Amino acid sequence: MTDGFHIVVCGSLVPDPIQTLEPVPGGDRPALKNEAMLPSVLDPWAGHALYEAAHLAAKTPGSKVWLVSLGPKAQLQQLMMRVAQKVPFELVALDGPASGFTDSFEVAVALAQAIEGIDGLDRSRLLLFGGCASASRDAGVTVQMVGERLGIHDQFLAVDELKVEDGGSIRVLERVEGGRYLASVCEGAPLVAAWATGSLPEPPNSPQVGMQNMRTIMPALAKAGPATLGGEGTTWLTAEVPQQRRETRVVKDSSADEIAQEIVTWIKG
Amino acid sequence: MHDNTVERQCLEVDIACVGFGPASGGFLTTLSRGLTEAQGEFESSAMPGLPPQVVCYERADDLGFGVSGVVTRATAIRETYPDLDSASIPMTAPVTSEKVVYLLDPIGASRRGLAVRFADAMLRGLRFVFRVRDEAFTLPFIPKFLHKDGGLVLGIGQFHQWVASQLMAEAQVQLWPGTPVAEPLIEDDAVVGVRLVDQGTDLKGEPDVGYLPGMDIKAALTVVADGPVGPIGRKLDEHFGLPEGHERRDWAVGMKLVVDLPEDCALEPGTVLHTMGYPEPEVFGFLYVNQPGLASLGIFVPSSLDSPVRASYRYLQHWMQHPYLWKHLKGGKLRSWGAKTLQESGRQGEPHLVGDGYARIGEGSGSTNILTNSGVDEAWATGAQLAEAVLELLKSKQPFTRDNLERTYVKRRRESTLDKESKVAAKARVGFRRGFVRGVIGTGLTGLTRGRLNAPGGLGTKHREIKTLAEHFKGRIPASEIERIEAEASASQRPLQDVYMDRVGWPAIPFDGELLVSHQDALLLGGKVQAPPGYADHVVFLDPAACAACETKPCIAICSGQALTLGGEDGVPLFDREKCIHCGACQWSCPAPRQPGHDAAAIALEAGAGGLHSAEN
Amino acid sequence: MDKILFLAHTEADGTLPKAAYEALTAAKNLAGDLQGATLVAGLIGADVAQVADTLTGIERVLGVSGPEFAVSRYSSDVAAAAALVSTSDATIIVAPATPRFCRALPGAAARLDGRIETQVTAISAEGDAVEAERWFYRQRIVAKFSRSQRPWFLLTSPGAFEPASAEAGKATLEAVSVDLPAKLRTKVTGIEAATTEAQTIRPDADILLVAGAGWNKKQKDGATHVNDASSLVLGFLELARASLGSTKSLVDQGAEGAEVMSFMSHLNQVGQTGSTPRHRKGLATCCHGEEPHVVGWRFVSERRAINLDETCGWAQGKADVLYVADAFEVMAKVNELLAADA
Repeated sequence: MTDGFHIVVCGSLVPDPIQTLEPVPGGDRPALKNEAMLPSVLDPWAGHALYEAAHLAAKTPGSKVWLVSLGPKAQLQQLMMRVAQKVPFELVALDGPASGFTDSFEVAVALAQAIEGIDGLDRSRLLLFGGCASASRDAGVTVQMVGERLGIHDQFLAVDELKVEDGGSIRVLERVEGGRYLASVCEGAPLVAAWATGSLPEPPNSPQVGMQNMRTIMPALAKAGPATLGGEGTTWLTAEVPQQRRETRVVKDSSADEIAQEIVTWIKG
Repeated sequence: MHDNTVERQCLEVDIACVGFGPASGGFLTTLSRGLTEAQGEFESSAMPGLPPQVVCYERADDLGFGVSGVVTRATAIRETYPDLDSASIPMTAPVTSEKVVYLLDPIGASRRGLAVRFADAMLRGLRFVFRVRDEAFTLPFIPKFLHKDGGLVLGIGQFHQWVASQLMAEAQVQLWPGTPVAEPLIEDDAVVGVRLVDQGTDLKGEPDVGYLPGMDIKAALTVVADGPVGPIGRKLDEHFGLPEGHERRDWAVGMKLVVDLPEDCALEPGTVLHTMGYPEPEVFGFLYVNQPGLASLGIFVPSSLDSPVRASYRYLQHWMQHPYLWKHLKGGKLRSWGAKTLQESGRQGEPHLVGDGYARIGEGSGSTNILTNSGVDEAWATGAQLAEAVLELLKSKQPFTRDNLERTYVKRRRESTLDKESKVAAKARVGFRRGFVRGVIGTGLTGLTRGRLNAPGGLGTKHREIKTLAEHFKGRIPASEIERIEAEASASQRPLQDVYMDRVGWPAIPFDGELLVSHQDALLLGGKVQAPPGYADHVVFLDPAACAACETKPCIAICSGQALTLGGEDGVPLFDREKCIHCGACQWSCPAPRQPGHDAAAIALEAGAGGLHSAEN
Repeated sequence: MDKILFLAHTEADGTLPKAAYEALTAAKNLAGDLQGATLVAGLIGADVAQVADTLTGIERVLGVSGPEFAVSRYSSDVAAAAALVSTSDATIIVAPATPRFCRALPGAAARLDGRIETQVTAISAEGDAVEAERWFYRQRIVAKFSRSQRPWFLLTSPGAFEPASAEAGKATLEAVSVDLPAKLRTKVTGIEAATTEAQTIRPDADILLVAGAGWNKKQKDGATHVNDASSLVLGFLELARASLGSTKSLVDQGAEGAEVMSFMSHLNQVGQTGSTPRHRKGLATCCHGEEPHVVGWRFVSERRAINLDETCGWAQGKADVLYVADAFEVMAKVNELLAADA
């Protein structure tokens, strides 16, 4: 692989996972209470995908990374302050809802169109990355649909490792049942990898990277086109946080022996 | 301290701003507009060919994670945004009503001096005359200096987010949250930039996976806006000292909740309540209604409360349950929680505002008006004044020297109304060093005479004179019992403040899982406290021997997140950064000066990422 | 009138996974409840004749078979699924949310201009409308909805339905041919263990042990005891044949360079940014947290916790029993009792 990869990472914002989430009725779809006030982060799995992309691009001369994000412009803007110092990338922004209740098919159509519109993208060298699920819709389907629309028929889900072998083939480890990996070898780009956690720690903040990224991020945000996600055909019936408060029996002042005995009896029951 | 032998990357910018808060909001907004209006007239010296490179580094993980329940006259903010529409900023409401309320102690556990007890007895005896209801006496009038007529109730987190989004849209300055700044770079008494903290380290700061030594950011001007306990401000003070006659010895920790009010609550948006007298006379409280059904409320635990058991969270829970407040709050739900330190020395704590290559703005620069109890608008104003000065210097192509900054920034600041007001207020809190009653009288005197008369007392008294446990609980808990409690606690690592509060008669908190939640649940449910990996512990014990010898360890009781506990090796407290909200109360509560006669404490809050993750504060 | 296709793939040993029989239950129930609906089955695998006979009550079974379909691979699976849907003219496809299908069926839906849901926990019929229920925001919010678009793929979450019994029957198997590209670019090379350490994730285990960050923290004596913690946890896993889950903060400690349990990896992580395994029982030890983390045991029926803090958010209102005690002491004793019994 002498020419390097063109890596497109699909990933957007999700409410910071530690926030309290409560659904409220919305227009086209359910919404979250105080949705606009919730701080957001880059979706954790998309984050892993982005860091893996940057790592691979750094190792493979001639490579380039794009981050394609669909979300409300103002929130994307804020998100970029948190992400842009991490790794070098060029942003492609789409202005639209980032709700978990948007339709994966519509999102895939919008993302595929945006990717098709990237100037200078060489589809033969394309590695399409994303998360294996999102912390919002949490379905794990969008990246595959984008890949399919782009005509990429080598796809991998829940990837923890992607290695370019001598000769250019790509070895991939995907998570499967029971904490094991399925190993596959693909001839090379183009392919789709929807990442699990990968193996890289979150990169440190680099002010230089941030400064460099911001030069392209600001114009990208300024020209972010609207993405229409009408959710047509879907009827939302209920959306709720299940209230399953349990009556917790608190056992204190018992000895370790007594507690252990009770636990063992329970385990065997 | 950083290892100077490590090779560090260096980035050159024109202006580096430390901390994103009201002061830097005012600074960056004014500067950003000036740069836009200049239409490319100014050129970066750091990166020729480009416009001036202005960066702002904020240690918290997001720009909206600041804490403050604010009621402000918003004079300076409105000068910047003349068309400010409060409806466009969540949690913002125009002030509609104000009350100052004296709370009696319905429990009988509060520590009240003779004068306070006398006043209580009088209010109770003449309750019909004074219209005492729900154990509370509403002041018939509010002195003018305390009024916030025409002002705004704000949620500072949301306000910051809004300001940041305006700045981002203008694209003249760069804002970088999650980027703590370790120290100023000082060369020949000039500040030449800042050093960011090392990343990819273990808890002790030793290199680990992904090690990246903190980068040196060289800047022609360093703007220090890191608040009351920020490490850059502190290190500048340590290097340059405070101006003659200035001191910073009055502090408070403000702890607050954002609460979903119960459905039947009648409080209107814009309602402002201030309380005093309970749970301890020295503890002031506030309740501001931000929007229908949503209020910010909390207490201030000041350094003048000379107790070694400054249990802010426990006090907050008792305060909320006071009948006067509980009638509004019962059935409410905790939405957010947080705490911060307030620098209450105001003008008396003003540091050197400028020097070669640096300028200081905001709360850390002594801008808070301690008479009117307002700091946000004042901080904003100092930022805006500095920005005007910077634009003037850029225009005339003059360097950011001490003289030039004095001539432009300090001059503007001195000529401003807010600065004159803060001068009037300079001695408003002096009386509190001698007790609550003298404090209140002193504040009244300062306010009514516009600073011509103040409570007696001056500098240097009461510095961290926290009583010992035996002294504090004299007549309430026998010394032998205190010894036993201490010995047992040391083994169990159990927080002691609750034990003492229980012992002196504060009732157990009836946890309801909604509003009355455990301290740890307040951190998790309300503050969403986080500590990202890859950074050194940011609370450091600089003089372990002093910590070991410290009998009272008030840092533990006042720790807003219970991040400090007993049980460390050699008697030094243990620090758990996953619970730390970077309020810095440990630092000013430390009774063990690093050197005799020196203000620097044995414990220090350094810069670190993480902490609160709520934008509703 | 909806046509329902029950879609499944075989395992390496030629049988259908348990999750497939669970999806079969969902498909049959839906076919029974939905006015005028018909049900056919579609199977993908190296050889599907034998398993076709285990789908009692389904008369028409379509099969895509051959060596290319023995393995889990996107390009062959998506072509097979699309062919089965087209041949059956299906409008609703019910299939298990196995990793293989979660990878391939979204693409199949896109290829057919259809829609897809994964991790579906309930499917019902209301008149002639199909309603699906699934979790959003990492098991934080559950929603029910219907769609007008077809084909609509519904991938059932493993453990959410009772498995249909696999009785011997005789189905008519129709072979469906698939046009595969001349050359498949991906070659599946096999299954690998995630770590060389002890296998700690057992999806079929009766009990899940959730380990929290407390295990690695300083204990009463002011020191950490990670080795003791490791042997207690591993000992319990072996003796109780339990599966191991971990909180995020415990896994993250590895990234912070702290001394950690060597067998613990991100794959163990449960909760907001991890998995949400289904086990009958769950025992949480040294965990502290609230809603985002507690979703890790959303699908655990009987829950107990050991924690020093009585007000612990992992336990209060979420566990059936909370033991306020030192987990080191209790678990040592538990292991002793289990070992004596073994």
